[in-house]
Amino acid sequence: MTISAERETEVTYPDPTPPSTGWFQALPARPGWLSQHLGTAVIGAVLGYLLGHWLGNVVASGYTNVANSGVNAVANTGGILLGALGWMLGIGALNYPLAKIIGREPAPEFENTSWTKYFRYTADHKVVGLQYVIGVLLFLFTGGLLAMAIRTELLTPTSHVFGPDAYIAIVSEHGTIMMMMATSVIVGPLGNWLVPLMIGARRTAFPRIEAFSFWVFSAGYLVILSALPYGGFPTGWTGYAPLQTQASGGMISYLAGFALIGMGMMAAGFNLAVTIVNYRAPGMTWSRLPIFVWSILATCALLTLATPTLFAAGLFGILDHTAQTAFYVTEHGGSSYLWQNLFWFFGHPEVYIMALPGFGIVAEILPVFTRKPLFAYKVAAAGMIGVALLSFFVWQHHLFQSGINPDMRPLFMLTTELISIPTGFIFLVGMGTLYKAKIRFEVPMLFALAVFFNFLIGGVTGVFLSDVPVNVTVHGGFFVLSHFHYTIMGGLIFAFFGGLYFWLPKMTGKTMNKKLGQIHFWVMFVFFNLTFFPMFLIGLLGQPRRVFEYQQNLQALNDFSSVSAFILGASFLVFIANFVWSVFLKPTPSPANPWDSLGLEWQTANPVPYYNFERIPVVLNDPYHYSEADATSVADLGDPVLVGVAAPAAADGPPDTEIVQHEDPSA
Amino acid sequence: MTDTTSIPTAPVVYSDTPEEREFELRAAVGSYWTGGRLFIAMFTFLIASEAFAYFYLRSSNNGQLWRPHNQTAPTGTGWAIYFVVLASALIAIFGQTRLRKGNVLDWEVAGWTAVFGGLVAIGLQIWQLTQLPFFPGSSGYASCFIGWAVMNIMMLVGGVYWLETVLARSLRLRSQGTEDGPDQLAMTPSGQIFRANLSACTYFWGFIAAGSTLFWVLFYLI
Repeated sequence: MTISAERETEVTYPDPTPPSTGWFQALPARPGWLSQHLGTAVIGAVLGYLLGHWLGNVVASGYTNVANSGVNAVANTGGILLGALGWMLGIGALNYPLAKIIGREPAPEFENTSWTKYFRYTADHKVVGLQYVIGVLLFLFTGGLLAMAIRTELLTPTSHVFGPDAYIAIVSEHGTIMMMMATSVIVGPLGNWLVPLMIGARRTAFPRIEAFSFWVFSAGYLVILSALPYGGFPTGWTGYAPLQTQASGGMISYLAGFALIGMGMMAAGFNLAVTIVNYRAPGMTWSRLPIFVWSILATCALLTLATPTLFAAGLFGILDHTAQTAFYVTEHGGSSYLWQNLFWFFGHPEVYIMALPGFGIVAEILPVFTRKPLFAYKVAAAGMIGVALLSFFVWQHHLFQSGINPDMRPLFMLTTELISIPTGFIFLVGMGTLYKAKIRFEVPMLFALAVFFNFLIGGVTGVFLSDVPVNVTVHGGFFVLSHFHYTIMGGLIFAFFGGLYFWLPKMTGKTMNKKLGQIHFWVMFVFFNLTFFPMFLIGLLGQPRRVFEYQQNLQALNDFSSVSAFILGASFLVFIANFVWSVFLKPTPSPANPWDSLGLEWQTANPVPYYNFERIPVVLNDPYHYSEADATSVADLGDPVLVGVAAPAAADGPPDTEIVQHEDPSA
Repeated sequence: MTDTTSIPTAPVVYSDTPEEREFELRAAVGSYWTGGRLFIAMFTFLIASEAFAYFYLRSSNNGQLWRPHNQTAPTGTGWAIYFVVLASALIAIFGQTRLRKGNVLDWEVAGWTAVFGGLVAIGLQIWQLTQLPFFPGSSGYASCFIGWAVMNIMMLVGGVYWLETVLARSLRLRSQGTEDGPDQLAMTPSGQIFRANLSACTYFWGFIAAGSTLFWVLFYLI
């Protein structure tokens, strides 16, 4: 289908005004304090929590397992679940679902130009994307503060800041918050903001489901955080039974928080997958799809298919605590290994839920700063699909130590090692793109290069860990801990910051300070490695995870790691300072396309219109034909605007620009 | 750095051409199709987790406590739930075939019947939980049964809600007759989107029936 700009037949709507169909639906969009916003969500959550807790006490306070125990899991669960429901009601997430019961259609969308839109339930994917940016950064910094607490405790082997219970509660909270944040750190902010623009769409397929994903994600954050006042949970982020079934208080927060965030992940993945399949602009064939979108599509497949298992596992855990079932209680016909199987059936694909979008960002950044086409584009896409598929067949390597049939070990060792092959594809694509390139070392590119360095270390140690003898030797120690920090933080978080520095000028219209960005990168890169590389040695020397005491002879390495961690933590303050300074305090308007990227998202107006593109673009080429003078333009945007930049190979030379003018169909 | 002066500022109004409207409509219809199937895939993995738990605990049989004394959930209620769900799904599917043949009223009657059936099934499922002859934590079977009951209620609530909203929308469309017939059958955008939504919803009811069949066999027959 070809879309042309038929000016004489176009239908123009007046500047949309707040909808008038149904006061209930229109509430979130109305200005003023009496409408629905973050404040009403908080009020709803508090009231819901109190009601749920009271109901739980009414129902279960007479149960034999509750009476005189000091713990009422039913009341805790009721409080948390009704609190989350109140949060969603308060923000307005349930207005339309309730209005549908009497057959109402969605209220018309309209553009809210007030800054208050960032505190409301909105159908604008760009606002949701920015809400996610702030949300995941809040997650990240909360988890980071807990990490600082852990490293403070580990400064000395025997003198303690925290008691053992407090220490394991902090470790568990840190791990859970970080892992939950990491599942959404790219899909949420950058996926929601960028994917429609990258595929030439004016909207996402189900914008209310998209908004729902953010607000339920934020409810999950509060629920997981609520574990601390409940006394925490002792299981680490993996929540293993039988500790899980023995724990009280914060364990419910862990299970319910995981289930809520799982719902958010499913909703986000569902919406983006459907959007990519159906809303690609004319000409945006699968072979022209930006590689970042491929990575998001592969991730969405994992989010929608693996996460229901996590939800089920959490549901069973909550039932064990509330209805007194015995899913994970071996003595009553259940099995603690059941949790491990269900958890890791989600948990290992989760690793790739985190890694794949990071690969996508890096593959998107490399061609821009090398001014070269992406090397072996189809191999990169195939690698991402291959990783996604194989990730469903590796989960039992997490059970090598804990009850798996020994005859099954070689099979899962093989599948785990196999996954390094499609991962290697993606690495080779990166190396091929970098080969003989004149690299522009801008801040996003620095982060992208660091991903290769860090993930190589994380990946190679992962191959070792997939091998049963090595796994048996180093299991449960700091070696494993260092490995997954190299993959998740060294890969994903570096890619996330690279993506932020790359796309924030488009998202906010403001230029980030380059000098501060470089300081942020170098401090983060150097001290990330100084923090986590010693942990390989610490692990090989025998220090176990989640234990607050260790051998005297490991103190020097631990201290080195701790001091490095403090500086690593400080590097994030540089980012915050840069963000606040560049966006709020002394904003410098960004050029429309500061990196001379060919990506479709850079070709639309700045600031991006509410409906993204004035005309739905017709895509003519993939966005990686850098330095190809005879390359076709990327897209026909329907207006005489800049649609393609075939930049020269020289790093700083002026790019060639091409102007495409629509033919007048009446001529 | 690229010259940005030629890049337009944000339009103050939203406009589209007929072709763009057609594109948006096709994308919306396709989204219902894709979304409906993906939704079913998500629920497949959810109930597959329940099935995995069933077989895992059954084969582990820890402490010989998979199913002591051959304990079984109330069979009569279980069969009733199953057949009500099955009948509701079949009626919903039948209703959609009638709609395709142009009979809107038949579909509406079938749809409301299916909604009623779904509500009855939910009620029976909740009532059955109050009549269990075993303690929830007494065995692997008992635990799995409780897990399935909760999931079944969730799926049925989802299915009933979805079908009810389609029916409610249909009632609102009834008054909007167009040149080529009632809007539920017309080629208007709302008619096309309505049918795509109904198709996805009916598939989901078929899926609920399939899942109920599986767990009916697992919990009552073997």
